Amino acid sequence: MTGAANPAADAPVDVIIVGSGAAGGMAAFSLTKSGLRCLMLEAGRDYDPQAEVNMFAPESDAPLRGASTPDKPFGYFDATVGGGWQIDGEPYTMRAGSDFRWYRPRMLGGRTNHWGRHVPRLGPYDFKPFSRDGLGVDWPIGYDDVAPFYDRVERMIGVNGGRLELENHPDSPADCLMPPPRPRVPEMLIKATAESLGIPVRAAHTAVLTRDMPDPVAPRSACFNATPCTRGCTIGAMFQTTTSLLPMAKATGRLRTVTDAMVSRITMAAPGKAAGVEYVDRKTGLRHRVTARAVVLAAGTGETTRLLLNSGEDGRGLANTSGELGRNLTDSTGASFRAYIPALADRPRYNEDGIGGQHIYIPFWLYREQKRGELDFARGYHFEIGGRFGVPPAEALPRVWGAKLKQAVRSTSGATIGLTLRGEMIPNKDTFCEIDPAVKDRFGIPVLRFSFRWSQNEINQVAHGRRTAHAVFQRMNGTILDPDLPPEKIMTAGGEIIHELGTARMGSNARNSVVDSYGKTWDVDNLVLMDGAIFASGAHKNPTLTILALALRASERLAARMKTGAFA
Amino acid sequence: MTPSRRTTMQWMMTAALLPLARWSPAGAAGIGGAVPFDTVAPWPAVPAAKAATGYGRDPNLMEPRIVWPLTLDRQQRATIDLLGDMILPPDDVSPGAGKLGVGAFVDEWISAPYPVQRADRERVIGGLGWLDAQSRVLNGQPFVAATVAQRAALLDGLSTAAPVGGMAAPVAFMDTLRKLFVLGFYSLPEGKADMGYIGDQPTQGPYPGPSREALAHLDRVLRDMKLASS
Repeated sequence: MTGAANPAADAPVDVIIVGSGAAGGMAAFSLTKSGLRCLMLEAGRDYDPQAEVNMFAPESDAPLRGASTPDKPFGYFDATVGGGWQIDGEPYTMRAGSDFRWYRPRMLGGRTNHWGRHVPRLGPYDFKPFSRDGLGVDWPIGYDDVAPFYDRVERMIGVNGGRLELENHPDSPADCLMPPPRPRVPEMLIKATAESLGIPVRAAHTAVLTRDMPDPVAPRSACFNATPCTRGCTIGAMFQTTTSLLPMAKATGRLRTVTDAMVSRITMAAPGKAAGVEYVDRKTGLRHRVTARAVVLAAGTGETTRLLLNSGEDGRGLANTSGELGRNLTDSTGASFRAYIPALADRPRYNEDGIGGQHIYIPFWLYREQKRGELDFARGYHFEIGGRFGVPPAEALPRVWGAKLKQAVRSTSGATIGLTLRGEMIPNKDTFCEIDPAVKDRFGIPVLRFSFRWSQNEINQVAHGRRTAHAVFQRMNGTILDPDLPPEKIMTAGGEIIHELGTARMGSNARNSVVDSYGKTWDVDNLVLMDGAIFASGAHKNPTLTILALALRASERLAARMKTGAFA
Repeated sequence: MTPSRRTTMQWMMTAALLPLARWSPAGAAGIGGAVPFDTVAPWPAVPAAKAATGYGRDPNLMEPRIVWPLTLDRQQRATIDLLGDMILPPDDVSPGAGKLGVGAFVDEWISAPYPVQRADRERVIGGLGWLDAQSRVLNGQPFVAATVAQRAALLDGLSTAAPVGGMAAPVAFMDTLRKLFVLGFYSLPEGKADMGYIGDQPTQGPYPGPSREALAHLDRVLRDMKLASS
């Protein structure tokens, strides 16, 4: 990463920040702007999008035409480096019968370098789910507490989108959003079809600039409507911390960043007071201790939880009086539905690249039916919309060869559409993470072991989503390309949507939760959690905007406390 | 007028009970259910793959390169190139896949030390051996030496959705070839041009959206489906 030089290694530090993704980036930005001196420890390597993102190369330049491999699961040019579903020498384990995928980039900026960019706000129901259906727990805060931070984060990171005007889907104030891009033809067809069935379709909220965002340190340009976002964005149109919050924090002169720093445990000054952390240099294997007045954990839900479980003296982990640490793990449900639409065959060509992903989406719309008890699942789901010109999927091509095959490809290009489901999972007692008593990583740090199970609630939700998607496809005379399998066979594995949340949840008191609504652990006054671990429930809405909003809120609270002399 | 939510739910439940219109490939008509050849050659043993390593989790993205050794010998590669020009033949829009060199991509793919590619290697190497054996059974000659009509009859026999008898593995071979040639061909500039693909072009300002012609087409589609545009 380019920017101002690191402060000296021996300069005093106010706050140690573990992690440099959405939460760590926001913490560094907010805390340094407040005048606090920060030390950021990132387990992955240094990473500079300007030098490493190959934005323009065609997929045919990459090995295997850029196809997914175990080394690069999202394709050769995907931004993720150094990690992925597996990291050499850093395993995780699973209890028998569990299937859980844990995505871990090892790079500055973390997952923001290649994320999905869909940034819906949670709504009032999403913060009080127990009050609505008696499942899970309520958050100790409501939508109104977070709304001002959503407003600021949307302006800060750059979000485009339109009005929603739907139950439990809050609209942003007028000056928060940039204009959304025009929909593409398949999206317009899906919109007309879904709306004829009473299913709403709206402009998505997407963290891609559609207008320039000037800044003296990290100016970012409006999207130029080309190149795949998940490779990273050298013009800064897509939000990623490495082109925005991190260089801005660095420019204050108060942020020192150490990469390849794998934090192994939190060190204590006294009971209830953290001294700092111990980390392993991933290149040399040497252990280092650093101290500060406060410690922020933003390592990602799994790593933050692992770090706490590996700290403390009594074997049950640090900040775990409640016993909730590691419990309440959730991911989003996921399933994909696809159809060939004969009416779209041979349609007129034009540029459908747009701003990368979907321009419009289907928000959840059945809250009243749910309230009346007409659905066999709790909570919601949404559909992300796909369908563009390109090489047709093999399933959509007939088994022909020769001139007929060439004709089929021409005709079918742009004639398949997809609806991708993302839904809320309710925490269950069989889904959690814990320290594996027998396995350590190559640094000698005990690893995480996952237990995971979908409940009937999630299975019924996916089955409902499939009926919905297929109803939309059938209304447009589509040919469904999905295998005819029971819903539990078409669901993604736990963790696969990379929305893991909840393992150090916030709550109203020290008996039912790990942290308060500002991420402060109940047990350790100067230890603050800022990533997805603190969510009290997942909602079906992609979590990153809420992670950023809560991290901003928590950082300002921490700075205020430190300015009034706390943890002197 | 927007239908009530209750109407929607009823419509959806009804739709869910209807049999789904599933894809029945045109090419399968008249072939599925019968063995196309009187004698089907046995599927040959495939020699083990050479040990190789992948490009790793942190390859140089600015200078991509293939780090594993290739598999096909000259004769196999010639057969693959011939198959490429049959599966995606030259016409007045684009060259044939064999002539364009997509065979090199097929070799690169089946040589890669990853699970998907290793499985495809079994199908392709086994399939090349089977194709020659089957051609000898039918025509007394290896595949490349057979007549155009004889080669076409062989590929026709492999283009079915419902293989029976010993045909499952040969048909999976053909499915794999079709997948690889389509991927390899249409990701090249010549293939993109063949599809009429427009994109990969930075455009300043707001995304312009569909062309007038594309919108006119959508209007016709909506009218035919009795859908209101929105």
